Amino acid sequence: MSEKDVTPRLPFKLNPRMIIIIVIVALIIGVVMSSFFIVDQTEEGVVLRFGEYHRTVPPGLNFKLPFTIEQNRNVPTQVIQNMAFGFRVEEAGVNTRQSDVDYPEESIMLTGDLNIVDVEWIIQYRITEPVNWLFNVENQEKTIRDISQSVINRLVGDRAIIDVIGAERATIEADGREEMNETLDSYGLGINITQVRLQNIVPPAGRVQDAFEDVNKAVQDLNRLINEGREQYNQEIPRADGRGERIVQEARGYAAERVNRAEGDASRFDQVLTEYQADPGTTRTRLYYEMVESAFGEEEGSELVDRNLDNFLPLLNMRRDGATEATGQNQGGGSQ
Amino acid sequence: MNKLITILVVIAVVGVVFVMLGPLYILDEGEQAVVVRFGEIVDSQREAGLKLKTPVIDNVVRYPKRIQSWDGDPRRIPTEENQFIWVDVTARWQVTDPELFYASLTTMEAGYSRLDDVIESSLRRVITNNRLHEAVRDSNLINEIDRTDPVEADVEELDEEGVEQIEELITVTSQQREVRRGRQELSAEMLSSAAEVTPDFGVELHDTVIRQIRYSDDLTESVYDRMVSERNRIAQAYRSYGEGRKEEILGELENERQQIISSAEREAQEIRGGADAEAAQIYSDAYQQDPEFFEFWRAISSYEDTLPRFRKTLTTDMDYFDFLYSEDGQ
Repeated sequence: MSEKDVTPRLPFKLNPRMIIIIVIVALIIGVVMSSFFIVDQTEEGVVLRFGEYHRTVPPGLNFKLPFTIEQNRNVPTQVIQNMAFGFRVEEAGVNTRQSDVDYPEESIMLTGDLNIVDVEWIIQYRITEPVNWLFNVENQEKTIRDISQSVINRLVGDRAIIDVIGAERATIEADGREEMNETLDSYGLGINITQVRLQNIVPPAGRVQDAFEDVNKAVQDLNRLINEGREQYNQEIPRADGRGERIVQEARGYAAERVNRAEGDASRFDQVLTEYQADPGTTRTRLYYEMVESAFGEEEGSELVDRNLDNFLPLLNMRRDGATEATGQNQGGGSQ
Repeated sequence: MNKLITILVVIAVVGVVFVMLGPLYILDEGEQAVVVRFGEIVDSQREAGLKLKTPVIDNVVRYPKRIQSWDGDPRRIPTEENQFIWVDVTARWQVTDPELFYASLTTMEAGYSRLDDVIESSLRRVITNNRLHEAVRDSNLINEIDRTDPVEADVEELDEEGVEQIEELITVTSQQREVRRGRQELSAEMLSSAAEVTPDFGVELHDTVIRQIRYSDDLTESVYDRMVSERNRIAQAYRSYGEGRKEEILGELENERQQIISSAEREAQEIRGGADAEAAQIYSDAYQQDPEFFEFWRAISSYEDTLPRFRKTLTTDMDYFDFLYSEDGQ
């Protein structure tokens, strides 16, 4: 084995022609590699020639001059982007998770009636002019944040807390969007804010929020109290109606009974009278005896005293059940 | 062949040396530059593209042409009525004259710190010279908003009178102090006083906006107290109103019940009276036919009714016993 064999032998002979070919091939590969670029469907490509804006190209495979003579920047112009204030979305998805961290320096605001309110909101925007977006403003996202915050702050500061929480929400969203767009357009930022949505507007957490909730509870209490009153009303009045009806009905019953009795009595009297008039003497006597019979005849225990028994002393015990005792006293009285 | 290689190498070396000397530079979109030669500004470029300079001795200093954000820390500043608030201001600025900027400040950092001074001093001046509500509010909108009554939405059962009454109870002193200037005007004042100075160092200030205003911490507590007591007052109004309404309903109930019962009783008495009268009429019509017999008849039928209930001791004195002692009834 000779020492020559140790160096690996190239598969072809290295001569000047070969070197030139290799260099040329490398150049061609370099040119091709740096001449094409891909623009995604969601993007637009901005091409700079020697740093100067040259053209904007659509999605797809695009050509540019090689070796950084032309450079491309892709800008997502079709994507709606979100920005949250006062909270952060930690993980978007089926179960969107919000970060537990609060950002009071964004969300705590003064209202026009000098109260404090905690406002969280989001904005959505789309880049409409990629060239402006790239070259007019530095820190684009921070600029959007700053302006969005200042506009919402000002709109909230112009309204009473009760309006901010309630009725003026939609106005703030609409005005906010308009004013943010106006300001950002004045910088030539090249975006369009498509939506401003107020999320959570609450009084400061803790006792203030409790107090606000207590008002809602108080409204419920108000309803409850009125309902209680109504309930009792509904419970008692129909009953009273029924009772009134009963009183009237009873009176009607009495009336019917009274009249019927009167008519019955009268009718009986009429009939007896007819008989009596036909034969007054015996009828009268008969009636008298019938009366005595029915009054005295049925019961035992009536006492009969001779009309000539002058010194009869009616010592009677007034209590029926003390009959024996009464007899005893009677006897004692007799022996004296 | 060797000749060709030599030529290529020479070209390559010359090219590399040429590029290294740097007679060309690229100015990107959004950038501007001043060309400095031995500390002296010889050129400034504001448009992007491929630019020329003298190799080796020229130095290119680039500045952004884009609009910059300035963001100061929140400042604790007293208002005219001496309430301390935190004011957070941001501004937009731009280097408009790179030569002047290079001459007076040179670096962007120096630019920022210069702006700190300028903006802060005008911020302090504007806030201290104005009352709190002028900074917080922007217009008198708050006094113009036609508040749809929050009660109406909540309490459906209330009639109009009730709504009015409760509105009166819960209305928070809605008339706020008149705003003469407002936040935007204060911002504009801040801007104009700061923007007077900035052209001196080649900077244009586009705007200064108040990003946030907050109460200082000790003030916050007392504001919380006020907010809580205000809510308590409103809650109390709702509850008391509810109680009042309940009492009213109970009163109505009592009233109605007594009306129902008493009118029923009146009617009952009328019915009874009518029946009594009718009965009396019937009786007297019947009995008038023979008053003498009526007396006898009434007496014996009454005896028949009542006598069985008495304990009786009779004497034979009665007519009934007339025949007891003699057959001809004495």
